[in-house]
Amino acid sequence: MTTEQKRKIEGFIALTLSGLAAAIGLFWLVYILADVLVNGLGAINLALFFNDPAPAGVEGGGLRNAFVGQLMITGAATLIGVPVGVLGGTFLAEYARGRNIARIISVLADIMVSVPSIVVGAFVYAIVVRPLHHFSGWAGAFALSIIMVPVVLRTTEDMLSLVPWTLREAAFALGAPYYKVIIQVVYRGAATGILTGVLLSIARVAGETAPLLFTSFNNNFFSTNMNGPIASLTVTIFQYAMGPYKNWHAQAWGASFVITLFILALTITGRFIIRRRYKR
Amino acid sequence: MTVTIEIEVKDLDFYYQGDVHALMDISLPIQKNRVTALIGPSGCGKTTLLRCFNRMHDLYPKHRYEGEIIFQGKNILADNIDLINLRSRIGMVFQKPTPFPMSIAENIAYGLRLKGIKNKSELTGRIEDALKNAALWGEVRDKLNASAYDLSGGQQQRLVIARALAVEPEVLLFDEPTSALDPISTAKIEELVATLKKNITIIIVTHNMQQAARVSDMTGFLYLGELIEFGATEKIFTNPDKKQTDDYITGRFG
Repeated sequence: MTTEQKRKIEGFIALTLSGLAAAIGLFWLVYILADVLVNGLGAINLALFFNDPAPAGVEGGGLRNAFVGQLMITGAATLIGVPVGVLGGTFLAEYARGRNIARIISVLADIMVSVPSIVVGAFVYAIVVRPLHHFSGWAGAFALSIIMVPVVLRTTEDMLSLVPWTLREAAFALGAPYYKVIIQVVYRGAATGILTGVLLSIARVAGETAPLLFTSFNNNFFSTNMNGPIASLTVTIFQYAMGPYKNWHAQAWGASFVITLFILALTITGRFIIRRRYKR
Repeated sequence: MTVTIEIEVKDLDFYYQGDVHALMDISLPIQKNRVTALIGPSGCGKTTLLRCFNRMHDLYPKHRYEGEIIFQGKNILADNIDLINLRSRIGMVFQKPTPFPMSIAENIAYGLRLKGIKNKSELTGRIEDALKNAALWGEVRDKLNASAYDLSGGQQQRLVIARALAVEPEVLLFDEPTSALDPISTAKIEELVATLKKNITIIIVTHNMQQAARVSDMTGFLYLGELIEFGATEKIFTNPDKKQTDDYITGRFG
């Protein structure tokens, strides 16, 4: 066998193996998405969005409580997590630039990103739910915001670091104080990048169940009281999928479909913004 | 014409972080409404000296100034100097164009707003004046709201000059303003420098000796952190006193 033939065979084997691996990975992804699509689409109707759950075992009803609760918890988590993350990232990239403290916090944030979310749930249970003796929407929002902060913080830090230093010097040279340089020049330069990070972090927490199980718990009734237990789509999916009733299963599929679509839309928007930014 | 001294550098020594001695015992007068060029090979300290005039070094830790720079009777190296005020009176234009990520008009309004000008019609008027003074008005008058990044490199550099001029500085520092530009844009900037000196004092750092000869009235030659020779540009380029200066301008080293 000539060397050339040998190389061709090796190349063929490598291509086949990597192609196969990609196909296996994609197969499950497509399978899950198709499953959610097929089963979920059938369960989508107006009642799912506008009715509250029917009593257990009774046909009909919807998940209005869970949709509203999910939006409230995710919204509150965003309101807490984004400012903390953006300001923290600003501290790291601007005020603490190049100092040891910045490096340490960066590494810790990277570790935080990969902490299992159930640990965060248990943590918030211990420091918020136990002392207050009740589950609450706020506790859920707090747990989700803990997951968001490191994501937003690291993205903000990276995006601010990408803004050329000469741009800051130019603003200083006009007689601008540092906070104005950051707010009016540096943030503008990094705005799309930070926005993308925020969208992706919302997408990240919107699908979390574990941190909500011990914090906002669940609620079979419609409630907008963030001081008490409140329904969320993810926990409802968990509960309904485990439950014995057929219409629960259908509603869980429907909810899965909606939440998947929501996260997909957020992620695609985020990617789209990144692509547009780097095209220029 | 009588000559007034706008800035007097007295026995200036400058150290970067780690006690790197970058400028040694520099003394020179900067004349009002004149163009002073600082020339010398890379690493000679000309940019370091330029960045002392608006205390740009203060953005970085562990630098040290010794000596004095007297600007209108005050030592600007003193601790109690308000840097924000100083930098609005001594402006700077950098090597690479540094437009902000906003529209052409907003770029110029930025400095004006820092000075507390909020009145819309005044802003509009001063934006137009600044762009005219920087010889850019004709090219951008119809697209003031377009992104500054849509301009060419040479236009961006004139925009940055307009932005610096808008806050009405008394002195303008140029740090190799044309090294990233093509010959036509370079010629425009040089013409501009010649016009601007009617109203302000200019200090320009340049690698390009022809440029120094063309635009400046006074020239300082720096080498390894020392000011080797300072005098009228004509004399420096035709009949320098020091051999090192002669070697450099005739291209024997550097």
